[in-house]
Amino acid sequence: MDFNSIIDAIFINDFFTNWVPVIATLMIMSFLYRDNPLFKIGENIFIGIALGYMWTLLWDISVKPFFIMPLTDMFVEFHLSDLTIIFWFLLASTMLFRFNRKKAWVANYYFGFIFGYMAGMQIPIQVQNILMQSTSLMENVNKGSFYETSKWIVLVFGTFSALMYFFFSKPHKGILGKTARVGIVIMMIFFGAAFGSTVMGRVSLFIDRSILLVAHPFESMVSAGVIIVFLIVYFKFFHKEREFNDEGVL
Amino acid sequence: MKILEKLKDLDRRIIYLLVFLSIIIPLIPGFDFLKFPVSASKETKAIFDQIENLKEGDAVHIDFAFTPTQKAELLPFFEAFYKHCLKKKVKVFIYYAASVNGMGLGKETVKNIMNMDEFSHLKAGVDYIHMDYIPIMANIQIFSMVSDYKGTFKKEGKIFEGVETLEDIDFILGITGSGWHQPFIDMQIRFHYKFAMAVTAVIGPELIPYYQTGQLTGLSNGLRGAAEYEKLVSEKYEVNYYGSATKGLSSLTLSHLVVFGFVLIGNIVYFIERKRGGK
Repeated sequence: MDFNSIIDAIFINDFFTNWVPVIATLMIMSFLYRDNPLFKIGENIFIGIALGYMWTLLWDISVKPFFIMPLTDMFVEFHLSDLTIIFWFLLASTMLFRFNRKKAWVANYYFGFIFGYMAGMQIPIQVQNILMQSTSLMENVNKGSFYETSKWIVLVFGTFSALMYFFFSKPHKGILGKTARVGIVIMMIFFGAAFGSTVMGRVSLFIDRSILLVAHPFESMVSAGVIIVFLIVYFKFFHKEREFNDEGVL
Repeated sequence: MKILEKLKDLDRRIIYLLVFLSIIIPLIPGFDFLKFPVSASKETKAIFDQIENLKEGDAVHIDFAFTPTQKAELLPFFEAFYKHCLKKKVKVFIYYAASVNGMGLGKETVKNIMNMDEFSHLKAGVDYIHMDYIPIMANIQIFSMVSDYKGTFKKEGKIFEGVETLEDIDFILGITGSGWHQPFIDMQIRFHYKFAMAVTAVIGPELIPYYQTGQLTGLSNGLRGAAEYEKLVSEKYEVNYYGSATKGLSSLTLSHLVVFGFVLIGNIVYFIERKRGGK
């Protein structure tokens, strides 16, 4: 039996695939009661696995095929275009000079290239983008229905009044003050919509976990029971409240 | 006014418990009566209609740019959309650029769908293809690449017949939880391709202006968008493609009612307190 088979035998079985997700989910959710060692363990395992997985994957799918392999091939059969690989490598390596205060300027070559490239690519596109956003408002105001027309009016005057809020060259009094006030309301409505969407997103994540718990009722109930007992024992007998002085320092 | 004081100092864990119950109860078997009807928004329907208008053999490109952390909101949409594409018999190119961690998830999901009886006759490299990972930032250039990182597809598969450049792609869908697809939106002005997005609810509101100007031809917002798409595909083809999004939508609605209730109570308490303070 080779190493991979042993690893597969440990991780790819019903016990592992049913119990571990449930236990890990409940460990993380135990934070909702209070910060505790189970949460810390779960958190560290999650970050460790995610980072480890990403690094190995990045090595396999990025560094190895796009740098190491072409570099080794270069010694077998050399093409002039292969020199670009060395150029990009040297340019990327300049980033390491950031560790040295006196030689940090060398990394500016890298930043200079990146900023130049991005500016060259993005400026004409962004100008077109802004123009497209603006010109789409320059339409016939009569949209056929009151709802559509009012939407256009809110959009145009809402944008204008929100911009007026950031106009600081004159004191916000009179018409300017009232317009700026409308601008705040418009912005608050946007923030409200964004907050509502964020809540929806977070609840959706929790729903996904809940579907998992409902799909494994036995595992969920046993794990929840064990975790609750642990929390009771821990906070009753082992946990010590940290004492803070008047300045809030431990 | 004891109730007022109690509400003011309500333990946050009680709120958590009520939200938890509002989410988990509709998911438990036997609580099916807590289902809320789903109606498709015009943004989601726009994506559905565009796929419906494609002809057999047209090319659809899916940029799978999310990781397992966004799975809850975006994977149900991907599943419904992918099944819809297969039903329409269009060629599907799946590509991963921003989501190194999402590759495994995407491949596993596609494998599970392809194992379904109705799709098991479809072949990789003919009807669909995984183009894996190509590290290009403005990834609309992918069709100028010779091969993926393993050198596997090499643009030699039958699926690449008639698909040489980006202009040969009839529809592009970006699925993401971040701003990764901004270059797609920007470049769309130049290349005039049809580009829609399925995003997490967090960034949905920011993308509405792009939909209104036509820079996005469709937009699915979070779990709700996924549930809408599941419904649209299921009703059109009279199949049961209802997945975790539809299942979770009742929980989403109920939990929102609970949160809404607490926001309302919090505001009422605040205004009463302010009034009393004013006296």
